[in-house]
Amino acid sequence: MNALRIAGLIWLGLVLVFLYAPILVMAAMSFNASPFYQLPFDFSTRWYEDLASNTAIRTAATRSVLIALAVTVIATALGTSAALALFRYDFPGKRILQVLLFPPIAIPWLITGTAMLIFFFAIGVGRGTPAVLIGHVALALPYVIVVVNARLVSFDRTLEEAARALGANPWTVTRRVTLPWIAPGVVAGALFAFAVSFDQFVVSYFLAKPGDSTLPVLIYTSIRKGFTPEINAVSTLIIVGSMALMLVVARFFSFGGHR
Amino acid sequence: MTRHLFLSSLLALSATGALADEIRVLNWQGYGTDLGWAVEAFAEATGHSVVHEYFTSEQEMLTKLRTNPGAYDVVLINAAFTRQARDEGLIGAIDTSGMANFGTVADGFLESELVIDGAVFGVPWTWGLTSFAVNTAAFETVPDSIEVFWDPAHKGRVSIRDDALEVVQFGALATGQDINDIADLDAVEAKLAELMPQIRTFWSSENDWNQFMAAGELDVATYWSGSAARSADMGLPVEFVVPKEGAVAWLDGLSIPDSSTKKEAAVAFIDWMIDPEFYVGWDKEGAPASANAAAADALPDDSFNKRVLGDPDVVARVTFQAPVDDATREKYLALWQGLKARQ
Amino acid sequence: MAGTLSAGDGRRAARLLAPAYLWLTLAVFLPLSAMLFFSFLTAAPFGDKPVEATLSNYRAFFETSTYALLLWKSIKLGLWVTGACILIGYPCALVLAKQIRGRAREALFLLVILPFWSNSLVRIFSWAIVLRGNGVLDRALDAVWPGDVRLALMFTPAAVVIGLVHSYLPYVILTSYLALQAIDDDIVEAARSLGARRLTILWRLVLPLSLPGLLAGAVLVFVPVVGSFMEPRILGGRFGTYYGTVIEDQFVAVFNWPLGAALSFILLAVVLLILGVSSPVLRRGMQ
Repeated sequence: MNALRIAGLIWLGLVLVFLYAPILVMAAMSFNASPFYQLPFDFSTRWYEDLASNTAIRTAATRSVLIALAVTVIATALGTSAALALFRYDFPGKRILQVLLFPPIAIPWLITGTAMLIFFFAIGVGRGTPAVLIGHVALALPYVIVVVNARLVSFDRTLEEAARALGANPWTVTRRVTLPWIAPGVVAGALFAFAVSFDQFVVSYFLAKPGDSTLPVLIYTSIRKGFTPEINAVSTLIIVGSMALMLVVARFFSFGGHR
Repeated sequence: MTRHLFLSSLLALSATGALADEIRVLNWQGYGTDLGWAVEAFAEATGHSVVHEYFTSEQEMLTKLRTNPGAYDVVLINAAFTRQARDEGLIGAIDTSGMANFGTVADGFLESELVIDGAVFGVPWTWGLTSFAVNTAAFETVPDSIEVFWDPAHKGRVSIRDDALEVVQFGALATGQDINDIADLDAVEAKLAELMPQIRTFWSSENDWNQFMAAGELDVATYWSGSAARSADMGLPVEFVVPKEGAVAWLDGLSIPDSSTKKEAAVAFIDWMIDPEFYVGWDKEGAPASANAAAADALPDDSFNKRVLGDPDVVARVTFQAPVDDATREKYLALWQGLKARQ
Repeated sequence: MAGTLSAGDGRRAARLLAPAYLWLTLAVFLPLSAMLFFSFLTAAPFGDKPVEATLSNYRAFFETSTYALLLWKSIKLGLWVTGACILIGYPCALVLAKQIRGRAREALFLLVILPFWSNSLVRIFSWAIVLRGNGVLDRALDAVWPGDVRLALMFTPAAVVIGLVHSYLPYVILTSYLALQAIDDDIVEAARSLGARRLTILWRLVLPLSLPGLLAGAVLVFVPVVGSFMEPRILGGRFGTYYGTVIEDQFVAVFNWPLGAALSFILLAVVLLILGVSSPVLRRGMQ
């Protein structure tokens, strides 16, 4: 019994090592002097010094974070309510609505992004931050809906019905009964939405105004000439920053689900 | 001193009328026009500021021009695409009379695809070669033949760029054919099929190339001349080779979209881009060869562009790339994808 | 289960669904419909080229064996990556949901997803640094293992699988966790007190109850992996040509959007077919 628990912990530890191996390498390379990521390692802080004077990377990183935050809020709200409706109600065409979530996931973003470019151009939305937001939210929505739904399927409907029978109105039922139950799903959906937006290249690339580039756009376009470990430096700062923020959040809020 | 000349000539230009404009340039990232010091000098002299947008392939550049009329004032177009861009009405003829530096552009480049029926649709800017570079640590003597790619001694240490047109033209050189008129495509395919087992990986950007070469994964890989100069400058042990079989040359021009509303500022910017003073500064950071004879002459004798590309023997071996129509491009892509899919 | 909708429920369902689906319609469905339309044209309707309706882009798929070969290769890749994600991720989710308690769980939950917040291209290049000859992995093995070890993982299909598993593993872990955590511990306790063995409880009780979450995660892995092109291109070397890379080529290397779009819709159709065929089997498994 104890052996099994220890094996479980070891497994979890190994998976975390696997997940963080490239992240650690990324961070280590931001302190490596070679611009070509050559080994052996040669400690240097020059990439951080370069970063301090590189306004292009910093403004792009800030813009990416702001866009991703806005996308997270919008996509999580819309996606959660859609997932709730798909869970609660049976109606003709429900299967179709569920299947429709797959095209944006299955069709490579390159094609979807190109399609958005032509369509937004044709209907006059044009380019700019609103267009970028519209595109990012749309790509994040299916992920939020699927993830929230993965939590909802194990929700006991009788709880909602009982609350309603006791006279609670639908909004109160949602707020007091359903949302607390699906909170872990909503949080996971929001984290994925942030990741989808924060790493989204194609849509930003096609829909952002010249000069308004986001971090991924900067990275992808600089690859032709070769990006420098400055990119690693800024990525490291972002990861460390979000890790600190998340641990603070985890300290004060509970969203892992309780019984 | 020359800087002074440049500033005064630009001041004279700007005095003729135009207000300070913001011009938008569409180019590859890190390809000359977006050098910080150059843009600042231009802004200082003319008052015009420069904003950049980048593309990652020629097709994407054309798409951006098609879908965003009026958004760009200067665009970099490879000579193989200039005629297509003109035929689609994307770019207009350029009035070169106001360009102080146009007079010294090498005559040969004015007979290129950039000048159509006597009208300049792209100002010849830079040119270079697509050939290959070797890791000098892996060779005692630098090879002089393209056959080194097929040499069993370098099996698994070879790379070519993942680009159908480049690959097929490479195969044409290896089979002794004209890159612009390949008569025996089957021979090219057979030759490339023999090459596949030799290959370690394909590269797709200068970034990949540098990293793979720096990690010691490769002995020999196709490369571009300007990039090779840059990689060598950054300390990689590489040497660019123009083999006896020849090499592919390309020419890039700066064009002005027909829809631009700031043509005067665009002309001033292009004039600065072909200015010898700008070019000498750019060459220090690794530039392709200049199409402006005066600019090429102004380089120090030991610079890569003067040493290698200025050699008449080398120039005699290169063939400039002609425009390639869509049907041919698709045929090459099908051939290349077929080869890759069977790995 | 709710059968038909009352008028009030109908209104409420519509109010909840409309924002998300209107948004998707504007930003994804309508643009993709335009792409679907292009896939039946001879050329993208730009410039002065004459454009005609045609089925040739779909016929192109069957005219050479290249596309079918690569699609099959991509599907196999999708299955490998999905399988690996399940085998690695599900036990991990089980530990996280049933063994870890309190604040540590929240922190681990976030730690699992955090690698996702880095740029995918930077992540792939970091993998390249780990896997390449004389890279981080070789050096680490050299340090702990006597003798000369050469894994030579870089530029092999294995490298592609490793890179993709890394990118998609968090989906399986988190969706499985969401379902596992919802299982009432009392049920598990009851089964145990009735004398059921651990493995039996896992196989007959926990797995079926958490299957919806596991499957949601598997779908979120399989579907995008089949169309992936960046990881294969960079990590796969000369073996890195997959269906997604040939679609990318049609858009980037040649301006053949109609063919690229047709290939994408064939991909979508095949993926939906696979999901459709497997869903009754899976649903039976869930009962």
